[in-house]
Amino acid sequence: MMLEIEALQVRYGRALILQGLDFTVAEGEVLALIGRNGAGKSTTMKSIIGLLRPSQGRIHFNGQDIAGRAAFEIARLGIGYVPEERRIFTDLTVLENLEVGRQPPRQGRPAWTIERLFALFPNLATMPNRPGGQMSGGEQQMLAIARTLMGNPSLVLLDEPSEGLSPLIVQQMAAAVRALKSEGVSILLAEQNTNFAAGVADRAVILQTGHIVWQGSMAALPGEGEAYLSL
Amino acid sequence: MIASLIQLLTGMAEASSLFLVAAGLTVIFGVTRVVNFAHGSLFMLGAYIGWSILSRMPRDPEYFALGVILAGLATAAIGAALEMTLLRRIYRAPELLQLLATFGVVLMVQDATLHLWGPEDLTLPRGRWLRSAVVILGERFPLYDLILIALGPIVLAIIWMIFTRTRWGTLVRAATQDRDMVSALGVDQRRLFTSVFAMGSGLAGMAGALALPEASANLQMDLTAITDAFVVVVIGGLGSISGAYLAALLIGILQAVGIIWLPKSTLVLVFVVMAAVLIVRPNGLRGRKLTAARGEADTIASIKPASPSLKLAALATLAIAIAAPFVIGPFALSVLTEMAIAILFAASLHVMMGPGGMASFGHAAWFGIGAYAAALPVKLLTVSMPIALLIAPIAAGMVALAVGALVVRLNGVTLAMLTLAFAQIVWAVAFQWSDVTGGDNGILGVWPPSWAGPQAMYFLALSLCAGGALLLRKMLYAPWGFALRASRDSTQRAEAIGLDTQRLRLTAFTLAGSAAGLAGGLAAFTKGSVFPTTISIGHSVDALVMVLLGGVQTMAGPIIGAIVYTGLFDALLLATDLWRFVLGAAIVAIVLIVPQGIAGLAKR
Repeated sequence: MMLEIEALQVRYGRALILQGLDFTVAEGEVLALIGRNGAGKSTTMKSIIGLLRPSQGRIHFNGQDIAGRAAFEIARLGIGYVPEERRIFTDLTVLENLEVGRQPPRQGRPAWTIERLFALFPNLATMPNRPGGQMSGGEQQMLAIARTLMGNPSLVLLDEPSEGLSPLIVQQMAAAVRALKSEGVSILLAEQNTNFAAGVADRAVILQTGHIVWQGSMAALPGEGEAYLSL
Repeated sequence: MIASLIQLLTGMAEASSLFLVAAGLTVIFGVTRVVNFAHGSLFMLGAYIGWSILSRMPRDPEYFALGVILAGLATAAIGAALEMTLLRRIYRAPELLQLLATFGVVLMVQDATLHLWGPEDLTLPRGRWLRSAVVILGERFPLYDLILIALGPIVLAIIWMIFTRTRWGTLVRAATQDRDMVSALGVDQRRLFTSVFAMGSGLAGMAGALALPEASANLQMDLTAITDAFVVVVIGGLGSISGAYLAALLIGILQAVGIIWLPKSTLVLVFVVMAAVLIVRPNGLRGRKLTAARGEADTIASIKPASPSLKLAALATLAIAIAAPFVIGPFALSVLTEMAIAILFAASLHVMMGPGGMASFGHAAWFGIGAYAAALPVKLLTVSMPIALLIAPIAAGMVALAVGALVVRLNGVTLAMLTLAFAQIVWAVAFQWSDVTGGDNGILGVWPPSWAGPQAMYFLALSLCAGGALLLRKMLYAPWGFALRASRDSTQRAEAIGLDTQRLRLTAFTLAGSAAGLAGGLAAFTKGSVFPTTISIGHSVDALVMVLLGGVQTMAGPIIGAIVYTGLFDALLLATDLWRFVLGAAIVAIVLIVPQGIAGLAKR
């Protein structure tokens, strides 16, 4: 298994946000974390990338224990993080944003280059010198993904990539996720939009107030997933 | 006309020197969001290290350049060490604690410098090229000043290139905006911060060495440099390098030209310009609105009324305080009087800082204004003590009202820096206006009338200070106090329910100034004299340490802090020559180990 999470607990002050999660992501797999606002999807991602310190539990990436390590070390091991709020550097241009994400290539995998990323997101190619703050939400989302890919990650944590985007851009996002999958990149995808998840994910985990209430193959989800989400 | 052109050029040379110091400060602030008080100390170290290098080298220009660069590198290394040992641990602490911790470093460096280089001013023997001049429009103008004029824009251009054309610069700019995201992208932000800190420190060190040909290396230059740099950085906009250059030009030229028109009041002129800029552009010439201060609400928790046991302890303390003069000797009595005054001073600052949420780094200004306002009428008009003690809080309150009207709109670091700058100006007025204030010699013989002996003075101080502190407490639990705390916690929400937050803050500011003024007036009479040192940065820091030592989040905090600090400080002065070093180390330790203060610790 590429990513193994066991009994993961995270607290904010006294509140127990994640109450013991267990799940895995296999090499080349797309796993959807599905849940409503506040279910703990973003918290899970932040604790994997090291921006939040888990209070208990183990997080193994390619056999190494990464729980509690510094974010930059985890990122260098090959985990990329695309936050929900995108967190584009608004003062920096598209090219500069990509530069911040650049890390050395990894063995056995073709490195991402600016050219390849511009081919994946043609919109970005038209605005290499535009400051991040002057881009639309969809463009920022593309840039956020491209910036993370510059680090050549083998696992990407993708937090609600379809949120607040127009249907056309959502389709582009889905295509991009499938393109990544075909490159052999594993993806942990947080989503409220089950339709989007259904289009790209292999398996799904349903989170509710910090617990896993269901997990299984994406094909088994429709209907059942909606039922959990409407609770 | 010619005279003013020469003045203009002098001003531009001055601007370059100001810019070099301010640039480092603003670069460091931009990335780490720490206002590094010790930046002035790095400037001073640069000058001393530069002196040690340059006075051993041939006096040719190329060796001078080499020496300046070496001094810069040495200071950069010191800065990096400082970042790794101290600053790294306080990045997420509230701003005031950061300022305080770095002020602790200032004290430590002062004593270290004194012991390494001695108390004398060190002047650099100047080579011939340093004494040569260029004739401009028939006037001789120092060559070195011309070099300085060119150096400002050159350094600005180099910094700009580094920040826009290198990967390091791109990472730094990204980290300025969102450090966590930079880290999540695989960049070791700790090393990035250390390198930024080293760069800023190196700039300060170079500026210190470059100041040598025109001034000596001395032990006062750290605070002078940091005050100037604060002013420049605030006017330019925190974190903006081009803004810092514009502001340095503005201030440099203003000082050089202003000295013709208003020879003695250049400092006042600077403050007026700063106030004018901040009224029009609250974030400075090129600054942008800063994101909200981190974590402040956590450390300034809500104040709760004292528990019965604490009230009992307070009553017992008061009873002891009342009984004490009948048992103890004159020295102990003077210490107790000092403590009573310190309590009022600290409690008044607490109103501003804690419930008011306004970080003040220049509280000694009000204390000093009160002291002078009480002493001057006594000396000049032979006014009696009770009237003088009435004038003190009124005068301090009126000045606080005027200054507060300008500054209460501002927040966090900006406010702290402005109050500091204002205190420095009050200090300069007291120091320079010697016809009235006696300058450095102060005002002597401000004795209370014969009916008021040391014991009577102690009871007067005790009753006014305990009464003042109780009154301040009462106000904080009145609706006014709730409204004040509401506007601290959320200005927008407070305004939405109809509170006039600016007015509340201004009232708190004025009230605090006035109470500190009363403390100052009392101090004048108990000491029998007033000196400019009552307005020094050190005295402002005393008040801050008292409040933070006791704990910002309790009413008992400033009182406990004042008692403990005054006692310890007097003991320290008796015990060691190295009191600055010990005090500085203690301040750093407090910030690192018990940021919530003694009272906060007891609560836990």
